Order: sequence, then structure tokens, then C-alpha cells
Amino acid sequence: MKFPVLRVYTVLYLIFLYAPIALLPVFAFNSSKVIAFPLAGFSTRWFAEMLNDDLLFRAAKATLIIAVSSSILATCLGVLAARASTRFRFPGKGGVMGLIMLPMILPDIIVAMSLLVVLLAMGVNLSLLTVILGHVLICTPFSVAILTSAFQSLDNSLEEAAYDLGETPLSTFRLVILPLVMPGIVSSLLICFTISIDEYVIASFLGGNQTVLSVYIFGQFRFPAKVPAMLALGTILVALSIALLTIAEYFRRRGIAKTGAKDTGGFL
Amino acid sequence: MTVSAEKPTMPEKPTMIEFKDVQKYYGDYHALRGITATIKAGEFFSLLGPSGCGKTTLLRTIAGFEGISSGAVLIDGKSMAEVPPNLRPTNMVFQSYAIFPHLTVEQNVGFGLRKDPRSVAEKQKAVDEALGMVGLKGYGKRAAHALSGGQRQRVALARALILKPKVLLLDEPLSALDKKIREQMQMELIKLQREVGITFVLVTHDQEEALVMSDRIAVMFEGEIAQLADPETLYRKPANRKVAEFIGTMNFLPASIVSEDTGKITVDAEGFGRIEINATQVSKANPGDGPSVGFRPETLTLLFDGQTASDRESTATVSEVVYYGDMTYYDVKLAGSDTPLRLSMRNTPGRPVLDIGAPTRVAWSAGAMVLFR
Repeated sequence: MKFPVLRVYTVLYLIFLYAPIALLPVFAFNSSKVIAFPLAGFSTRWFAEMLNDDLLFRAAKATLIIAVSSSILATCLGVLAARASTRFRFPGKGGVMGLIMLPMILPDIIVAMSLLVVLLAMGVNLSLLTVILGHVLICTPFSVAILTSAFQSLDNSLEEAAYDLGETPLSTFRLVILPLVMPGIVSSLLICFTISIDEYVIASFLGGNQTVLSVYIFGQFRFPAKVPAMLALGTILVALSIALLTIAEYFRRRGIAKTGAKDTGGFL
Repeated sequence: MTVSAEKPTMPEKPTMIEFKDVQKYYGDYHALRGITATIKAGEFFSLLGPSGCGKTTLLRTIAGFEGISSGAVLIDGKSMAEVPPNLRPTNMVFQSYAIFPHLTVEQNVGFGLRKDPRSVAEKQKAVDEALGMVGLKGYGKRAAHALSGGQRQRVALARALILKPKVLLLDEPLSALDKKIREQMQMELIKLQREVGITFVLVTHDQEEALVMSDRIAVMFEGEIAQLADPETLYRKPANRKVAEFIGTMNFLPASIVSEDTGKITVDAEGFGRIEINATQVSKANPGDGPSVGFRPETLTLLFDGQTASDRESTATVSEVVYYGDMTYYDVKLAGSDTPLRLSMRNTPGRPVLDIGAPTRVAWSAGAMVLFR
């Protein structure tokens, strides 16, 4: 029998991808401080320790504020840019759209450094707001990419039909365009939220004394005693991610079923 | 198609749409070249032409989706220059139907009633009536995206007609349907138009569709109206050779003019010999072309054993046979001519279908022939 190379490769690849994540809950529920096999015994003490950590809660709250605001802001900007690029022709459109998409491939460190220099020179105090600005900058290209495809699949005559039936351009947008691109908007919000949550470089450069979750977790890894509690936190984050993606996929499929659009596989 | 006989008895209808020297440029491209025409109230009017002739652009200037470079479009006597599409007394049925996929059938049909001051119950009644009118009673709660092409077409019609527009614009509404459903919808549209009495303006590239449905047709080429007439006139006496070739099938034979008298022109036509053509039956040849006589396939009839022509007859040879079931189309070449002429014969029981190369006789009459010069 021929050796199933591709099958073995696929299995190894998936193990490499997911085994480390699968180990998070294993050690989070392990009673020993040492991250090693054999396991000592079942315990929820690391979860309790984590929940008593006030700094952690402050960091989590900061992260949540940043992620929610930057995903909403980036998606709003994305809607405007995607609408402009799909519906209108204007001079220099190619160049403008290219420049909007550029931060997607620009190293975050460059964005972080240049923003830091400018903000400090302008005398702006580093705060949650400055992190939000940085995150909007790097999230917007993703939002534009997702929403452009959503707007492109819209038949122009739908808009004309609403206009023809007595609606103004503004109410047409609200009654026809917005509902039809809603799956794209939800995708954009989720992607931006995810990008913002685990972003490290910009958050640590522009955060000032406001520590966000990613920066806090990395900081805690310097203390071996704190590591199991961070694994407990990681376990909760994994659970939340799965829940979030499940909800998002549910809404996406419901949207597709409702409009009879072709299932293009979503962003997953 | 044969309504022209009763036309003179009908009172002259008032004008609904008026184009006054409408010009439209897209950059350097001259899309509409001085369109001047009127569409009467209650008329089924078609804009017919090949793709790119400007017919859809002209329709969209009525709806307000296209601005015009100069000239004027008037609806019911009012200039539409400053009126946006949402305030015009027109509604449109789009080529893609443009059914809102996120709404139900009745939400689609009632879409234009959002700002209507009537009560919810009255609006619901209007929606039900509109659905009944297009034969979709009971479909109201269905999801619009689950409908078939023909049903979407009906929803689009109901959605436009519920607003009782002065003009209903139809942009190639039947082109996406199968032949059977298309023919059925043609009949339904004619019936619907007679019932509601609204002015219909249809854009189509299908000459047969235009002939079947319209009271009057504007044939357009390259941004201009080549001829505006009722279907019978278009078919019998096309204004020029381009229109003649676009509408139905027409045979052409080169001819030379022998003499011109008042009332008739004598020509020598290839294969036919000397014929007289009524002076009213003269149209324009293409620029640079010599004169020719043109005639429809039904002007020629094959003669079978024992039959004789009532007017004139010639010998000919069959060069092509196309069998359609109820009809057979033959191409024949007259003795002394190498130009194939298309003729159509009804297949009656017992009548043989001739083979290619068979010698035959054709009966013809110069009465319906048109001289292009």
C-alpha cells in the first residue's frame, strides 16, 4: 500500500495548530504550579486566583473598551470607503483605495512608532483613546476589504428601484442597502474586534500607563507563579472565542437563508 | 397587430411624454442624438433597437436616472429637468426585476406605500388587490427570493402599478424569461395595460415582442429614432432599409428604375423583370447603395401541381428548406437571379415539403413591394 503522505501531513499540521491550544485548559485545571506532565490533580484554584486579580480586570476592561470602539469606528469608516469605491467614480480612486488598504501589510511596529512620535510631538497624552486611534488605523483595511465584497454583490437596480418607488437616497440606504450588507457589517465588526483584542505592539506603545490584556498577560509570564492563572484566563478566552464565532456563524447563515443569497463560505 | 383599422375612429389621445431635441453625451460618446417624439396617454409604446442604440438611456431619462445634456423631457406637460426619480409620476420595472431579497412579497409590493397616509388596513387591501391583478393572490407572505423568474416579474409589476403612476416604464422586462413564459407574459401585459389604462413604455431588442405588444413603436439606431409608427406600418412600409432589415425578414433584389410617372414607378428587378411600384411604397436605401425592391416572405407563394397564380408567376429553384412544423421556410432562387429569397408556406395536410434543388414555380404580386432608393 502506498504511504498516505498527504493524509499524514494534514494530521500533523492540525496537531501543530491546535495541540498547544488544547493544552491550555489541561494545565489551567492542573493543581500543580509547574507546567509539565504528569498532571498533579484537578483544581479550579487558578481560576479563583485569576478572578481576584484587580489589575487583570482593569486590563480586560481597557481591552474591551478599545476593541468595541475601534471595531465600530473602523466598520463605519469601512462602510463609507466600500460604498465610495463600489458605487462612485472619482479621480485618483485607485491610488486612494490602495493607500487605505496599505496598513494591512504595513508592519504594526512602523505604525506604532510613527504614531507615537507624532502624538508625543503634538503633546497628546497616551491613553485608551490613542490606542483606539491606532487600532482603527490597522482595522479599517480589513473592514474595507470585507465590506467592498458585500457592496459589490448588491444589484445597482435595487437602489434605483427604491429611489423610483419614492424613497430618498438616504432612506434607500437605510431600508435597502443597509439590511442587505448587514452580514458584511457583522463580519467586519467581528474581524476588527478580534484584531484589536490580541494586538500587542500598538497597544503597548500607545497605551501609556493603561495596560491592555495582551500586554498584561505577556508581563505576567515573567513570574512563573502567575503562569497557571494566565492559562486559566487563556482557557476562558478560547471558550469566549468559540462562543462568539458560533453566534456570528448563526447570524450569517440566518441572513443568507433570509435573502436567498448564495453561501460563499463567510469569513471563516 | 391589426388595430390600425379602428384607429381613425378613436379620439386623439392627449400627450403624456414629450421629448424635445434630447441630446445625451457620455464624455465624447453621443448616446442620444436629438430625440424629438411624443408618447400619448394610455398608449403601449415601445422603444425598439439593437443593443447600444440608446433605447434604455432614453427610458432612463423618463425615469430620471439619466440626466440629459440638452433638450427637454416633459411628462404630462411638466418639465422634468429639476425633478428627481422619487418625485416623478413614473415607476419602473427593471430588467433584473430588482426585487428586494430581504423582504416578503407583500413588503415588496407595498414598499412604495411607506409614506402613504392611508391606514394599515387600507394599504394591505391595496397590496392584496395589486397581487390579485398580477395573478399572485395568496403569495403575499412568501419570501421574495424564493420566487421563480415569472413570479418576480409579476411582483415587480404589482410593486410599480400599486402607486398608480402616470407612466409605467419597462426595461426589457421579459428578456430573462423562457420563450413559453415570455409569450404568456406578453399577452398578460397587453391585457393589464388595457385594464389599468396607464401609459406603458417598453424597451426591447426583440422586434417580434414589440410588434405583438405595442400601439406604436420607435425604432432606434445609434441614438436616433429611425422610424416611429404603428406595427403594421413598420412592417409594411419601413422608412429605410435598416428598419426593414431589423423588423421581420425582408427580401431584397437589385433593381433599376425605368421610368417615373405620377403615382407609379416602373423598375426592372433581377429575376422579376419589369414591375410597377406604387409611388407611396418608396423608402430610403442605405447611403451609397443602388435601388432595390424589398418584399416580405409572405409576398411569395409556392405553386404546387395544378395551381396557377392570380397575379404573376416565375420559375425558381429551391435552395434551402427550414421546417418549423406548422410552417416551412424556403429559400428560392428565381430563374436569372442568384439571390436567395425567403418565403414561408403554411404546411397544410397532403402538401409535400420540397427538397433542396427542386424546381418550382412561385406566385407573386408587386402590390406589397417597396422600392428602396
